[in-house]
Amino acid sequence: MTAPDPTTAIDPVTAAVIQGALETIAVEMGHKLMRMSHSSIIRESEDFGAALTDPTGSQLCECRMSTPLQSGPIPGYVRHILKVVAGRGDAIRPGDVIMHNDPYGGASHGPDVAFCVPVFHQDALVGFSVTTAHHLDIGALTPGSCGIVDAVDTYAEGLQFKAIKVYEAGRRVDPVWQILEANLRAPQLVVGDMEAQIMAARIGAARFSELIETWGLAAITAAHDDLIAYSERLMREAIRALPDGEYRAVTHLDGYLDDPDPGRRDLPLVVTLRIAADTLEVDLTGTAPQLPDKPINMPFEGTVDCAIWLTVRSILLDSVTFGHIPQNAGLTRQIRIVAPKGCLANPDFPAPVIARFCPGNQLADTVMKALAQVAPDRVSAGIGNLRVASFSGLKDGRHWVHMEILEGSYGGRQGLDGMDAVDTLYANTRNNPIEDIEMHLPLRVTRYELREDAVAPGRWRGGIGTVREFTFLSDGGFSMEGDGHSHRPWGHDGGADGLTASVTLVPADGAPRALVSKIPYLKAKAGDRLVCLGPCGGGYGDPLARDPEAVLHDLREGLLGPEAAFADYGVAAMPAGLDEAATRAERGRRIVSPPS
Amino acid sequence: MKTIGVDVGGTFTDLALCDVGNGEVVIHKVATTPHDPSEGVVQGVREVCARAGTEPGEIAYVFHGTTTATNAVLENKLARAGMITNAGFRDILHIGRHQRVEHYSIRQELPWQSRPPIARRHRKTVAGRLVPPTGAELVPLDEAGVGRAAEELKAEGVEAVAICFLFSFLNPAHEERARAIVEAVMPEAFVTTSSSVSPQFREFERFTTAALAAAIGPKVRRYIANLESALARLGVTGELRIMASNGGAATARMVSEKPALTLLSGLAAGVLGGRWVGERMDRHDLITLDIGGTSADISLIREGRFAETDARSTALAGFPLLLPMIDVHTIGAGGGSIAHLDRGGAFRVGPRSAGAVPGPAAYGKGGDAPTVTDAHVVLGHLDPEDFVAGDLRLDPEAAVRVVGDLAGRLGLPLHEAAEGILTVLNANMANAIRSRTVQKGLDPRGFALMAMGGAGPLHGAAVAQMLAIPEVIVPPYPGITSALGLLTTDLKYDAIRTQFQVSDSLDIARLTEGFAAMEAELAGLFSADRVPAERVRTTRTGDLRYLGQGYELSIDFPSGALDAAGLDAVWRSFHDRHAAEYGHAFPGSPIEIVNIRVAGTGLLRKLPGLAAPAGGSLDAAELRRGRCLFRIGGRLTPCDTPFYRREALPVGAAVAGPAIIVQQDSTTLVPPGARAGVHPSGSLVITLGDAA
Repeated sequence: MTAPDPTTAIDPVTAAVIQGALETIAVEMGHKLMRMSHSSIIRESEDFGAALTDPTGSQLCECRMSTPLQSGPIPGYVRHILKVVAGRGDAIRPGDVIMHNDPYGGASHGPDVAFCVPVFHQDALVGFSVTTAHHLDIGALTPGSCGIVDAVDTYAEGLQFKAIKVYEAGRRVDPVWQILEANLRAPQLVVGDMEAQIMAARIGAARFSELIETWGLAAITAAHDDLIAYSERLMREAIRALPDGEYRAVTHLDGYLDDPDPGRRDLPLVVTLRIAADTLEVDLTGTAPQLPDKPINMPFEGTVDCAIWLTVRSILLDSVTFGHIPQNAGLTRQIRIVAPKGCLANPDFPAPVIARFCPGNQLADTVMKALAQVAPDRVSAGIGNLRVASFSGLKDGRHWVHMEILEGSYGGRQGLDGMDAVDTLYANTRNNPIEDIEMHLPLRVTRYELREDAVAPGRWRGGIGTVREFTFLSDGGFSMEGDGHSHRPWGHDGGADGLTASVTLVPADGAPRALVSKIPYLKAKAGDRLVCLGPCGGGYGDPLARDPEAVLHDLREGLLGPEAAFADYGVAAMPAGLDEAATRAERGRRIVSPPS
Repeated sequence: MKTIGVDVGGTFTDLALCDVGNGEVVIHKVATTPHDPSEGVVQGVREVCARAGTEPGEIAYVFHGTTTATNAVLENKLARAGMITNAGFRDILHIGRHQRVEHYSIRQELPWQSRPPIARRHRKTVAGRLVPPTGAELVPLDEAGVGRAAEELKAEGVEAVAICFLFSFLNPAHEERARAIVEAVMPEAFVTTSSSVSPQFREFERFTTAALAAAIGPKVRRYIANLESALARLGVTGELRIMASNGGAATARMVSEKPALTLLSGLAAGVLGGRWVGERMDRHDLITLDIGGTSADISLIREGRFAETDARSTALAGFPLLLPMIDVHTIGAGGGSIAHLDRGGAFRVGPRSAGAVPGPAAYGKGGDAPTVTDAHVVLGHLDPEDFVAGDLRLDPEAAVRVVGDLAGRLGLPLHEAAEGILTVLNANMANAIRSRTVQKGLDPRGFALMAMGGAGPLHGAAVAQMLAIPEVIVPPYPGITSALGLLTTDLKYDAIRTQFQVSDSLDIARLTEGFAAMEAELAGLFSADRVPAERVRTTRTGDLRYLGQGYELSIDFPSGALDAAGLDAVWRSFHDRHAAEYGHAFPGSPIEIVNIRVAGTGLLRKLPGLAAPAGGSLDAAELRRGRCLFRIGGRLTPCDTPFYRREALPVGAAVAGPAIIVQQDSTTLVPPGARAGVHPSGSLVITLGDAA
């Protein structure tokens, strides 16, 4: 336990009360946005963010229901909005609502549109209430806002909003809305979601104003400083507890596996951590150069920074151990990120970035791989990365678009097996119920279960991915941004590497076709089936040290067969249970002469 | 007619015996017997009858609140259960919604994976598939496969089976057929189907509800059977009625068939007790705040009706439940909540609690952490002279010591720290109430705060002040509201049908038929329970949303045959509710009716009013005066404070704050500027002034 910060200008009781009230506001914003929104990517997948900031964009609170990759970038959105508005010689006024999605200006990528409502107190700008959300369509070259894996530059990725006022001093700016209606596919959904975002942000702003009325601006500011100091103290101590030094890790992205140019395949992500006292430098030097005309570059602000911050806090300040810690500048201040201009992790405008989802999460995994060297008890072995599929078609003359995030899995952890079939690291969305998909879309889900015989051995085994099949009931199309088809999640400390993902198209009338991990819009016919195998996380620790009862358990659960139990773990099973003598003999033999 | 309410809590089993004829109530408490709670129940029934001079044979009904099902899930003591589901979908229970519990954690565990209600080895798949929109059969059910699966489950020693097929909420035929096959193979097993437990869409949630229902089934059935025979041995010939999660009672027969009804029933009776106390005073808009040792339960009563949770917010031990449930919001804040500096140095109160053992430091049973109760002791609110819980005497020095330690670390004077503990706790509760009211477009100032539980009356006034609620009600027996609430229940059964109809293309006949079929189904249930038709009331509601949304609002529907005018009124009330809840409506959007529901109530005779208190005068009620600290005009100020004995306060007396009112099961704090009076129904009413 730490003594409270003596410099703090507010008593601890008032600080606790104001902080509780701030969190309540952020939760209310998210609650209303989820319930009002029309498209499943927000209401089911929960791919949205909600936060309050001070007038400079420093975060006061975020909604706990929102996904980290949406709330994390909000301070960056606000900073850039301020810059753009000032650069135009314009000002922010009461009643304004500002729309922003510039990936070279704080946004995570174009489909994640922020609506920002300024908060005024006695004629002075005192903060912002902001919601972000992933929109189904943003007017890119093909339907949907994901699976756009062949945009050649940011212009091809859809509409770019650089601090656009959609309400000006309380008045709706109609031409902007007319442009949106005309340029977005499925405008009834997307515009409805945008209206829901604005309403939620306005509610946050109103509550924020009430809070200032109650406590006074000085107390709110002091409570904010106190929150930042709190988070910073925890992060500094956590870094200080690590041994100083330099720790490097490399993983690879698939890139474009069917591209004739080898420079677009098997792209390295390189992380060098430099720990000195209570500071952490994350250096991405060595990471592959940007792809100037393929959209898997990662915005430095909004994706790269969030991926790194989130991974570091999830490991060093794991909420299971540390409880809830507010996300704010205090958690990030002592982490310095270095990424050479022109690399995948710091591209030059207008290199496209819309499909940065998989690379960003792989970068998060690479940071974990580096931290595994200094905090092995707190990491998992390599994760199975997430993928995003987009399905679309025309029904009664209207576009339908459906987005589905395909889950990954975690690697094994010290004392714990990996989590199966789950969103990993920087995203935490929800799948769509099969019964919802089929009620509303011309799609049928024909299989959704765990893969079998697909377990990365380890003393604590890797998590297991899923097999998920979609069948088209009418003609349409799909696209996918994926990764992890050619590189297996890393095993740790003697654990085996995990298993790769795959996608197979089984046409209604033809032979199955294995597809690569980046699938630009591809037409599909009624009856065509898409079979998606999810990746399986890496194993942790020597499989021969796994408790034979745990192996037997997995065997009985049908996750692996008796051959694998013997081959991978040296465990001999009989119908009645464990063959202890045979297991002891086999394990003893292998420890004496390990198989080459 | 005499009835008994018996509510099993973690520490005590509370009983109330009531003569419905004259309103006389005898209350009693016995220790809960965790190894088999029915022992404590039977002992309590015997003792309360003896106290009241009543023969067990005179008791017409025993109303019982039990946490048997809830605890089985919380403690993961479940029956070995099996599942039969569609080929290709063996792991719906395991994958869940593929979302982690925690955003920022590598070392978390997912409850549906680390402690599944049904192990994968017992999840069998068979061919068969129904498809929307009508539940038509795409692939016929492999009946031979179902039979083989049942044989396997039997051989594996499974005691309960959940049958869960996709789209069974549209058409239960495959599930019902499979149930018949399984029952033939496993006549001893508890067999349930997902469509009979909850015919609503969202397969993970519905399958999980059915899996938990199966896994608690054998235990609940045994418990009910044991209790019925033990009560019979005692000479009780009346009927046993069990409190259900939906805020009504169910017969023992019904609960044995559908044990899931009791999964979340633990908190319902207290809300009903609060509502009943309010009714006696003609107060029908209430926020009930029930504060015990470790948690505070908050619920809302509007126009005399309690709210039900929406289908997406109900969970137990991390598992979602698709069941009608009275809406009670629980937070970790109570008299035993521990005040501490967390790892980052921030001041927190709760959710960790000292519990009953060791309890607050002031209890002198080895507790060494500063709790909310200790803060009250330091400020003089709880006095060793009156505070007697069991054979316990307060140790004020211990309280001063532990709060003093914390004060040192906070850099605050002792009394400021003690008051800070209360302020942080009260603010937590006020925030929780705000999230149930302001966030839903309701103004808390339009409600009275019903302060219940042992610690509720100590905090009610302060929480109300934070929310500008003008009035606090303290029931006659704040610590035993649940047992009283049980005496006010009716039989209540619910039916639900998924519709997925849209307002611009509505099939009114299908809607009317749906309601009529559910009403007929409920009439059958009540008739089986021998409730005469004239005692049955039904209400219709629908779960509505704008087309495309994922969350529904519950809207009332008119009775009888539906017509365009009646539906227009429904749409209008949906737009209004949406605007009220979220601050915005989409009047141009089509509205989707997701589910329709009928709630049936079989009215029972219940507790009338309690006999009015017969106190003398304020002077006679005054026990003594003490020095308590209150914040007045921003400063903590010592006040010469009268302590009154509650039983001796006369109806109509006006007590000016600051004052402390003590009674056996609770202490009421009347802050400076507030006034308290005794209502003829026996409740205390605190009216708050402006001197916050």
